[in-house]
Amino acid sequence: MHIILVEDDAQLGAALLRALERLGYAVTWLRDGPAALAALRGHAPDLMLLDLGLPGKDGLDVVREARRTHVHTPILVITARDELGDRIDGLDAGADDYLVKPFHVDELAARMRSLSRRVRGHADNRLEAGALCIDLGASQAWLRGDPVELTRREFSLLQKLLEHAGRVVRRESLEAAVYGLDREVSGNALEVLVHGLRRKLGADAIRTVRGFGYMVPREVP
Amino acid sequence: MRASLRGRLRWLMLGVLAAVLLPLGIFSAARSIREIDELMDGRLAQSAHTIQSLRDHAALAAAQPNQHGTLEVPLGTQRHPTEREHAHTYESEVGFQVFGRDGKILLSSTTLAELPPPVSGDTGFKDVQHDGRRWRIFTLPPNADGVVIRSGERYDSRRDILHALWIEHGLPPLICLPLLAVLAGWAVRRGLQPLQELRGQLSARRPGSREPLRLEHPPEELQPVLAALNEQFARMEDALERERRFSADVAHELRTPVAATMVNLENAMAAPLPSEAHAAIGGARQGLVRLARRVEQLLALARLEAVPAARPTTPVDLVALATAVIDELSPMIAEGRVELGVGFAADRIVVQGHEAALLALLRNLLDNALRHVPDGGKVQLSISATDRDAVIEVTDDGEGIPPERRAAVFARFHREAGSRGEGYGLGLSIVQRAAQWHGASVELLDSPFGRGLRVRVAIPLRCDDAVVKAEPERWSIFRAPPDIDA
Repeated sequence: MHIILVEDDAQLGAALLRALERLGYAVTWLRDGPAALAALRGHAPDLMLLDLGLPGKDGLDVVREARRTHVHTPILVITARDELGDRIDGLDAGADDYLVKPFHVDELAARMRSLSRRVRGHADNRLEAGALCIDLGASQAWLRGDPVELTRREFSLLQKLLEHAGRVVRRESLEAAVYGLDREVSGNALEVLVHGLRRKLGADAIRTVRGFGYMVPREVP
Repeated sequence: MRASLRGRLRWLMLGVLAAVLLPLGIFSAARSIREIDELMDGRLAQSAHTIQSLRDHAALAAAQPNQHGTLEVPLGTQRHPTEREHAHTYESEVGFQVFGRDGKILLSSTTLAELPPPVSGDTGFKDVQHDGRRWRIFTLPPNADGVVIRSGERYDSRRDILHALWIEHGLPPLICLPLLAVLAGWAVRRGLQPLQELRGQLSARRPGSREPLRLEHPPEELQPVLAALNEQFARMEDALERERRFSADVAHELRTPVAATMVNLENAMAAPLPSEAHAAIGGARQGLVRLARRVEQLLALARLEAVPAARPTTPVDLVALATAVIDELSPMIAEGRVELGVGFAADRIVVQGHEAALLALLRNLLDNALRHVPDGGKVQLSISATDRDAVIEVTDDGEGIPPERRAAVFARFHREAGSRGEGYGLGLSIVQRAAQWHGASVELLDSPFGRGLRVRVAIPLRCDDAVVKAEPERWSIFRAPPDIDA
């Protein structure tokens, strides 16, 4: 998978280059805005990691211009700005996700995976979170290598959670994923479903934020 | 005593008035008295001349003397009753005498009948004591026949006139002085109206407001004051703007090297290492995480303090903000150390406010609680609305803070004894500052879990808040983060 990293800070750029190569990505490292825009138009990378404060052309302008010329490469913005307004601007400009410095490499890797999955569709048909793994084509789940039998709805729920592993998913989104948008869902149907999943996958596989939603941690033990 | 400009001006005005009016009054009274003296003296002389003419030309010569050879005129003593009504009060206090060549009285008014004749050569005005009273006497020099005529007037009558005069001159100013004081007070108040207006404007300002002052019609004298004040406000605004830029710059300058170090440390940990080195690098990474958090908090606080008090507010949906915060804190929630519960009383709870400040408030409230609760603990976030306030409550079942120490935890680097090493202080300072900006109250209460703490922030709702609906497109970003629901 080919990634373009745009970062003008030499230290951070070098460190990220090593980290991404360690994770198995092919990385091109660029240091300014015009080069980033040219690379987006010319090389069609699979994903771009883009710093906002760039010499030559601001990161936001790079995103805007790329989107205007119908470049659909997923762009993950990495920035030192974190005011909410900046975040909105970044997403409004057409970035796909937004990560504030400093961050953990794991977090970055997870966001990149989620992003490329969204763009490519589930090409490899597999979603993983630590010891938990599902195959979307075969509708099969494994925990620590052992197959786990899931109902259709349990599988849909787990799929939605795994697509956003490490983040809390609001119950409204989960209900829509499991029951469809139009269906009226009875009060505790989702709780019952989660309870069933927990019994099969272990209590630690799904975290509850009561009254709000659920999450599957990135590393299910 | 506090010096009041108004009182000062009033007393000064009265002082000046008194200083001018009193001497003026005394001077004019003295002049009037002299004039009256002269006038009455003139009258006295004239009456003497009148008598002389009468005696020289008219029937007086034909008058029969009495047994003593004198003629007495009953002046002012016997009078016809109808005449009395027109009588003058001073009449009994005047009199005259006519002496013959031999010095004998030829004619006299009753009032002066007993006055001894004048010594020869004694003419003109003279004050004499007669009948127990002081008289003003005028003596004409003897005429060709050697007849001497004297006219006189008791001083009482003059004194009466003078009294009346004094009262007429003195009384009105005495009565008018208090009235003058009242009017002067009114005039001063009226004149100082612009100062009063300035005071009103200053006291109506929100604390920390740096908006320029404007008066409807600033008088010339106040303009330098206004200009100086406004310049000061502008300078403050400038300084804060610089501070805002500075903290944004610092954020950028610090975050990037911290990020680089973080990635480097994590790269190192991924490499095969002796366990000791691995542990040491892990520790360094932990330290870096804490450092990063501290920097973030300090910057958040600096940014909040630089928010201009006059900054316009926008509608902010607290539910959307809380959702964004929960998403942000997902890594901590994923640890599964703490059981988090959330309760929103409505789909949208919109307040008028400063979005970044409210985000910092929610983030620090929740982050603080999640950090301070021991393993297996509970944290509850709830957002609701009463008639008057939007209420954010974060409740935990951690160690809590005894009521007597609750006020102290708002201090910046306060650290509760026995806490897990992370101070409440900076986080709560941020909460407090953000709340302050919104005129919101922050209360530390007992937790209904039996132990722990409940932090309650009540943000006053404006009357139109309940119906305010922000543009949904913009806010949907927070309702569900894009990479979750896209």
